[in-house]
Amino acid sequence: MPDTSTTPEQEKTATQEQAPPPFQPPPLDMGWAKTPTERPPKPEFGPEGFTLRMADVGSYRFAPDHWPFKNDTPRGAWPVPGDRHGLAAPYTIYDKDEVWAENAADLYELAIQQRWAPATEISWGSIEALPEHIEASLDQIYTQLSEQQYNSNQALMGWLQQISYGYHEVKLYLSTQIFDQARHVEAFRKRALYNGGGLGVQMPGFMNRTVAAAFKFTEVVVYINILRGSFTLALAEWGDRIGRSQADQQLFQNTARDLRRHLSYGAEHLKYYLRSDTDHVSLVHAWLNRGEIMLAADLRRDKALREALILSLGDTVLEGKARLKELREAQLQQYLETLASATLYDRADKLVPTMKEMIESP
Amino acid sequence: MVKPEILEQLRREPGAEDLDLSWLERPAAERGLEVKVGKRGLTLDDIAVGSYGDVPETTRNQSGRLRGSAPRPDAQNMAAHWPYKAESWSESATMLYEEALQRQWSSATDIPWHELPEMDEDLELAMSQLCTFLTQVEFIAGDEPGKFAPNISGDHFEIGLFLATQIMDEARHLDVFRKRALANGVGLLQAGTGAVGLLTAQSFIEMTVQLHIVGEGFVQSVFRMGELFAHSEVDKRIFRLSAQDESRHVAFGVMHMKHFLETEPERREEVHTYLDRMEGQVGVVPNQSGLTGGGETTEALAILLGGGTSEAKLNEGYKKLLAIRRRQLKEYVHRLEVAGLGDRVERMPDRMRVFLQAAPN
Repeated sequence: MPDTSTTPEQEKTATQEQAPPPFQPPPLDMGWAKTPTERPPKPEFGPEGFTLRMADVGSYRFAPDHWPFKNDTPRGAWPVPGDRHGLAAPYTIYDKDEVWAENAADLYELAIQQRWAPATEISWGSIEALPEHIEASLDQIYTQLSEQQYNSNQALMGWLQQISYGYHEVKLYLSTQIFDQARHVEAFRKRALYNGGGLGVQMPGFMNRTVAAAFKFTEVVVYINILRGSFTLALAEWGDRIGRSQADQQLFQNTARDLRRHLSYGAEHLKYYLRSDTDHVSLVHAWLNRGEIMLAADLRRDKALREALILSLGDTVLEGKARLKELREAQLQQYLETLASATLYDRADKLVPTMKEMIESP
Repeated sequence: MVKPEILEQLRREPGAEDLDLSWLERPAAERGLEVKVGKRGLTLDDIAVGSYGDVPETTRNQSGRLRGSAPRPDAQNMAAHWPYKAESWSESATMLYEEALQRQWSSATDIPWHELPEMDEDLELAMSQLCTFLTQVEFIAGDEPGKFAPNISGDHFEIGLFLATQIMDEARHLDVFRKRALANGVGLLQAGTGAVGLLTAQSFIEMTVQLHIVGEGFVQSVFRMGELFAHSEVDKRIFRLSAQDESRHVAFGVMHMKHFLETEPERREEVHTYLDRMEGQVGVVPNQSGLTGGGETTEALAILLGGGTSEAKLNEGYKKLLAIRRRQLKEYVHRLEVAGLGDRVERMPDRMRVFLQAAPN
């Protein structure tokens, strides 16, 4: 496979060699076989197969606090000699505390085991005709879910090229989250368009814009995995109260299972980040303030979503409103629990006023 | 549309005084679609009906709104999304997305690791060296589409979904080749120059040329020849499954290039310049210590292909490696023909074109 990195000497050679002579096999060298990398013990494969955690042993598992290589050298390989180094990569994240979570490798394997395909693993035939205002309400909720997952998905994909190659567990885990989010975009769109429905109104976009504009990777994790993730997980866990069919419930159950992994990575990363520097606490609270303000603004301005939730959650408007308040409380509870598992225990006292208002009078 | 009497009834309910309900009364998005589940389940193609199937050639949608949903007058502009369909579109994206979901596999459980045999030491070293190279370069092919994904408009969201599957596949490739190197007692060996150069692409079409048409296309040819150099069923299975993934990425790229050339013919020469560079015609050589150039990976492949390090086996290995290179070039030319660049052969350097000639006896 060609590359675009080269040296002037190689360029000269290339220009001269338009038609090389017949190929002569070079003498055996095998210098690469003498590199002093670690010889790992042979693994014993268990019922879970050959996981990343089993493979990465000894020095292969050790992820340093600062990754020293500027290119795509895999962790544990012998680095390429300087004269063949090629280009430095565009990575900007070389410090472990900016991305690391101890559970990333395990969540990567779990995500692969828990994969699902909306086309064939949702009982689409179980969906029956509904009163138009109920179907439209469900479609509005699904429109919102599909759009916010597309936003999260695009943002995370863009961050991959910032993360250096040494923290491969994180890159692998994020790939599963990106894949999950694509599936959510697809699955909820399919459900909205099925059953004689259609899409609803787009989101106000305060949170979407905030996610896209994040300056730091941990900041984007706070918005996507902690804040939006918690609110969406709590909603998905209410799927049996929102959805009307087996298909609806399968969609919510599968999505909730994916989101639990996303929250788990987010909480574990945030814990690692907070532990690495005491100054990080104030940064995290600043991001939480900003995220809460934007999410509350979305919820306050999204009349269609509010009314869709009221109509789908209750048999009457009053009942729907009472249920919506319960849902908002459940979402806040999930958010605070996620933060507590990240060792941030005092956020309840620091909630921004607009978020409090949104929970108290949704 | 919801019947007026239902809306009236809702508005008269206790507690309904602060409800607007205009989104129910005058839905701005098309409703009442007839969507049917097909033979392959409910696919993206099945829901591309009515106005939802109309993919705009140009769009001013900069808000992240997904195609078909009702726009808000106060939608915020993120100014990052490409307005032109041609910039990223591939007719095969939806089909390949669904196929990717059906064909996901697990490196942990779908490879029969416990059947990995003890191999001759030189062969095991060579396999570990090849896997070191592959684990090094494979996720560059994940970083690269990720770089452009935030530019895909919500009106062309299917492309974003496909790119997410490619990223997932590349993660699995980084993972499976790393595991393979670590599975039989050798571990990772010498890193090479790598593939960071691929990240220099400045546009989606440039990425497609570098990554899908050339880079992944050449790797796909090698994976498909895995039967020749893999010395166990375990290794053969790894290459088979990886080739299956790689085929989707290459197919996406070929169809994107085809769409691009058909809709933006004035940019044909621009595409040629990217190919000129990848073919080493502007002073840049295929110097990656890998599958087409010299270096440790080439030697490792020759050892695997010949079955050992004796002079006779090594010579045999290099002969087979030349056959692989011929195949790489032929498949490359075929991809270009399908994409609408059948005349590319005339521009290729002799040192590439020579591989398209008949193999010597």
